[in-house]
Amino acid sequence: MTVLMKPRMSTRHRRSIPASLIAGAVIVGLVIIAALVSFIWTPFDPTITTTDRLLSPSGEHFLGTDALGRDVFSQLLVGARTTLYVGIISVGFAAIIGVPLGILSAAGPRWLGELIMRFIDLLLAFPALLLAIIFGAAFGTSTFSAMMAIGIATAPAFARLARSGALQVLSTEYVLAARIARRGELDIAVRHVLPNILGMLIVQASVCYGVAVLAESGLSFLGFGTPPPTPTWGRMLQEAQAIMFTNPMLVVWPAVCIVVAVLGFNLLGDGLRDRFDPKMEDNR
Amino acid sequence: MRITPRITAALAIVVVSAVALTGCASGSAAKSTATTATIGLTAEPANLDFTTTDGAAIPQALLDNVYEGLVTLNNDGEIEPLLATSWEVSSDNKDYTFTLADGVTFSNGDKFTAETVKWNIENVKSDKWTISLKSYMDVVDSVEVVDDTHVTVKLSKPSNDWLFRMTTRIGAMFDPDASTDLANTAVGTGPYTVAEFNSGDSLVLEQRDGYWGTKPALEKVTFKYFSDPNAENSALQSGSIDAISGLSSLDSMSLFSDTSKYTIQDGSTNAEVVLSMNNASGIFKDVRVRQAVNYAIDRQAIITNSTADTGKLIGSMVPPTDPWFDSSLVDAYPYDVDKAKELISEAGVEGATIRFRIPNLANVSAAAQQVQSYLTAVGFKVELDTLEFPAQWLDKVFTGHDYDMSIINHVEARDIATYADPTYYWGYDNAEFQSLVAKADAGTADEQVSYLKDAAALLSKDAVSDWLYLESYVSVVKPSLTGLPANQLGESLNVTDLAWS
Repeated sequence: MTVLMKPRMSTRHRRSIPASLIAGAVIVGLVIIAALVSFIWTPFDPTITTTDRLLSPSGEHFLGTDALGRDVFSQLLVGARTTLYVGIISVGFAAIIGVPLGILSAAGPRWLGELIMRFIDLLLAFPALLLAIIFGAAFGTSTFSAMMAIGIATAPAFARLARSGALQVLSTEYVLAARIARRGELDIAVRHVLPNILGMLIVQASVCYGVAVLAESGLSFLGFGTPPPTPTWGRMLQEAQAIMFTNPMLVVWPAVCIVVAVLGFNLLGDGLRDRFDPKMEDNR
Repeated sequence: MRITPRITAALAIVVVSAVALTGCASGSAAKSTATTATIGLTAEPANLDFTTTDGAAIPQALLDNVYEGLVTLNNDGEIEPLLATSWEVSSDNKDYTFTLADGVTFSNGDKFTAETVKWNIENVKSDKWTISLKSYMDVVDSVEVVDDTHVTVKLSKPSNDWLFRMTTRIGAMFDPDASTDLANTAVGTGPYTVAEFNSGDSLVLEQRDGYWGTKPALEKVTFKYFSDPNAENSALQSGSIDAISGLSSLDSMSLFSDTSKYTIQDGSTNAEVVLSMNNASGIFKDVRVRQAVNYAIDRQAIITNSTADTGKLIGSMVPPTDPWFDSSLVDAYPYDVDKAKELISEAGVEGATIRFRIPNLANVSAAAQQVQSYLTAVGFKVELDTLEFPAQWLDKVFTGHDYDMSIINHVEARDIATYADPTYYWGYDNAEFQSLVAKADAGTADEQVSYLKDAAALLSKDAVSDWLYLESYVSVVKPSLTGLPANQLGESLNVTDLAWS
């Protein structure tokens, strides 16, 4: 068995670009292109309802029309916008809360660190979907309340990662040297800790992005996400569900989009980890 | 040849079980086609007590089947005698004297008499009943027992509406000696009793002995409840149920297009899907803006998209099955974008923002997105705000009146009178309309029809709301099963006429 392993490990010595990174980047690129294209061109206005309902795919309507006579292809294009938007904001929000808390808990006094981490544990106990439903009930359903909820629910992952990374960096000699040179704690955090854990954080962001996209689709499906008429893949799925047995393709299109987009972000995350994660360093 | 006891025993088991199995198989097959039927429904009762639990599912299953009233509503929406064989109304329209059917008993053997009627009507007025519908009994002043089969009900003021409401759950006659555990037991004078109630699954009605009226054809009727419409459709396709009463996903009608296997009944309802506008504040205070909305929306297109072409145009708050329906109101506001724009500029509200607060119900969301599309086309800016139903929507829109526009399904029978209540969420305060409704309730039956016709026309003229469509009640039945009510006009799903042909 060890003989078999050997050649595989040797090929890893070259810092090649992992296949998953390429595949992930291509898929994510496609989603971004679809979203950008939707700003300047869609075959039809995706919010205009007509009586040309439940049409089969044709040269005019590439993927047919839905129960309210809206063009499915146009809705998918605009839906990509919502998907990206929600992902960026909620992951950004999670990182802005999570990373400073994580670094603070590592660099600050021990009691503060413990306090922050217990608070983070508490936050971890709330599933993203549940939190979003609570937010929706309290502040009204909107894209923003959904994004906040997803952001808060994914913040603990960032905080824990930032803390463990920061603890490692803070025990290195160059940080000791910086301390001897009377650099302030904030300065050390910004100039030494953050750049060194950035790789890990980017990987985490990419994985969380997939989770956020999935959560937003789930919320839209349940009616707690982006309100109509803004098209989202999750709500397209929900609206098609009632007519699933008579018009199955209306379920397939948004479902495929969600699956492929989430797969893309996960592959991208995997590929980036292969490149950046220090734990993988030994294998190379 | 020597036959051991063991072989004999084995043979005996084989023969006996073979006989038993074939007997079983043929017996149950014959029975299921001749005397039982299973009906698929969507909303499940929470318990068996409609005196304290709101919702349509309990009276749907129990009224007319288990519980009977003095009068009942037939499937054309007309009041018919039931426990009362006839009644006389005094000249001042205030006293109703009912003649009761003879020899009526409850399913536990107790007798039904004039005393029972008095107890029941007084019971509705007491604290025992907690649902809001009990207020329809407020108009009753006193009940006098004349003799065993005659009872006089005295009203405090003339009310045509009261007799109609006696066909609903408030008119149901309970046994005074067996009404302590209504949530779990149902003792009525009807032809069926509740044999089983399996929460989350089904309710089984079984014929009782000694029913006073005509015996129904079926021994046993099962209501099977499906929360998922797709599962309900599959159950009918596989034959495990015999009918779907009230198809929830109308687009799935195409699954049942084979007329040799299924009959589709397109029935009427009282369910007006109303695009409500806040008449009391905001831009919809102006009648021209409300009229513009009525012109701007292609209701026929919404019927096509939202109801698979089964919905009906009504033009006011009156379904076609009510005697005061006026078909000329249907075309009062044809789809005319230019006319709408003209009225909007006349009123000076071009580009105004409409706060469109809707409940998060699937059919409402579909209709609302179409309305938004039409109103955007005539230059309004429509902010769609989806509220959780029921709590948030009832709180903000229905009770708080904090809205410009909304959509909801008004399912109650003869609810045109809600427009006479200025505190209702329509915000419509018109003395002329209120006096028409009051006169209709107090007058004779003919006067009631003519006054309510005028009232409906006034609503249309004032464009108080936009009545998008009347929902249909679509049932899919195996062709050999007859007698399933097509319309849903009263509160019950009367299964006493079901029969296999």
